[in-house]
Amino acid sequence: MIQVSEVVKTFDGFRALDGLSMHVPKGSVYGLVGPNGAGKSTIIRHLTGVYRQDSGQILVDGAPIFENASTKARIGYIPDDAFFFQSAGVRDMMKYYQGIYPRFDRARYERLREVFQLDEKQPIRRLSKGMQKQALFWLSLCIRPDLLILDEPVDGLDPVMRRQVWSLVMDDVSENGTTVLVSSHNLRELEDVCDYVGVMHKGKLLLEHALSELQDNICKVQLVMKEGGGMPEGLNILHENTTGRVQTLIVRGKQEAIQKTIKACDPLFFDLLPLSLEEIFVYELGGVDYEIKNILL
Amino acid sequence: MGPIDYRDSRPIYEQIKDSIRRLIFSGAMSEGDQLPSVRNLAAQLSINPNTIQRAYRELEAEGCVTSVPGKGSFVRKTDSIEAARRRELFSKLDDATSALYHIGVSLEEILAHLRAQKEGENHDSSI
Repeated sequence: MIQVSEVVKTFDGFRALDGLSMHVPKGSVYGLVGPNGAGKSTIIRHLTGVYRQDSGQILVDGAPIFENASTKARIGYIPDDAFFFQSAGVRDMMKYYQGIYPRFDRARYERLREVFQLDEKQPIRRLSKGMQKQALFWLSLCIRPDLLILDEPVDGLDPVMRRQVWSLVMDDVSENGTTVLVSSHNLRELEDVCDYVGVMHKGKLLLEHALSELQDNICKVQLVMKEGGGMPEGLNILHENTTGRVQTLIVRGKQEAIQKTIKACDPLFFDLLPLSLEEIFVYELGGVDYEIKNILL
Repeated sequence: MGPIDYRDSRPIYEQIKDSIRRLIFSGAMSEGDQLPSVRNLAAQLSINPNTIQRAYRELEAEGCVTSVPGKGSFVRKTDSIEAARRRELFSKLDDATSALYHIGVSLEEILAHLRAQKEGENHDSSI
């Protein structure tokens, strides 16, 4: 659905995107994660045709996206900083969306009123941040998008509304095969909804994997070796930490293989634990110099 | 279908597999019962439909679920389920036994405990 290759974007000499390549398969839910300032919002503004890249290529559904109205008509976009016309209510914005998006589904708009329960006449700019997000979801789901691009979508939403919007989006994914690209810092939540994950750092994509593949290929080992017993060899250790006699290792590889290697060394005790996406994120970025520093103030 | 346990660090498809297995093992779902549709479960739990698809696919490979194209997925009761249930419970017992071992409880003590518990159960049922 989205094919980005070697994209560079410079702002006043600062390379916000530095040869970024990524690939979002059709029908997938792709989570874009990365530290602050990694360039997530910048690439999203390219994918929605807001910015034009300095070099490289961005194809959405096989066609360049910049100034491409017919493709953009099929993209729903929820930006982090929403824009609404001065004193426009949800109903006014709905009419505007209806004029712009040829696939706007009025019946769906009426049905979703029950979910969002916003006052349609109230100027959206006077609503709270979370309610503005809700208004955006309401409008964006009505355009029946083939691609939904969400930049920090649940920021400001309460827990009930978060579940509610994800439920609506997931229904769209399973029913219509909608492709979703979502950037967020809430990794716990991304783990539920995504099947692909891309990790960005300093304008580049560090890694891009199916989530299941990512989780199947890394695990946490807690290990106590016997007195004088040697460490198991042949493990691809990403990170290790010793507290007393207990060693905690982050190991890359298949769980069964790791288990076998460790068992062969006859440890006093060991336990294999899967890693959450949050832990994977921390350890993968630890390898590229973005670590939690142990500073006591 | 129970909700996802957010403190559980296991992958979500594993959690889904587990809760369906538990429903089948405990008899809450019996042979021929239909599993919730992928779309329904995705919307209900707010999780990716492909994750659910994967859980269903693996359950099918294990033999406790059959999929009928266009109809959905159904519970299949086979001996392998009973066997799998036994395996699962025994592995729990193994975990507990080895934990007891590590704190210095002897095999005799563990066996004595198991016997006493069994007798207690028989005693209860005779009342």
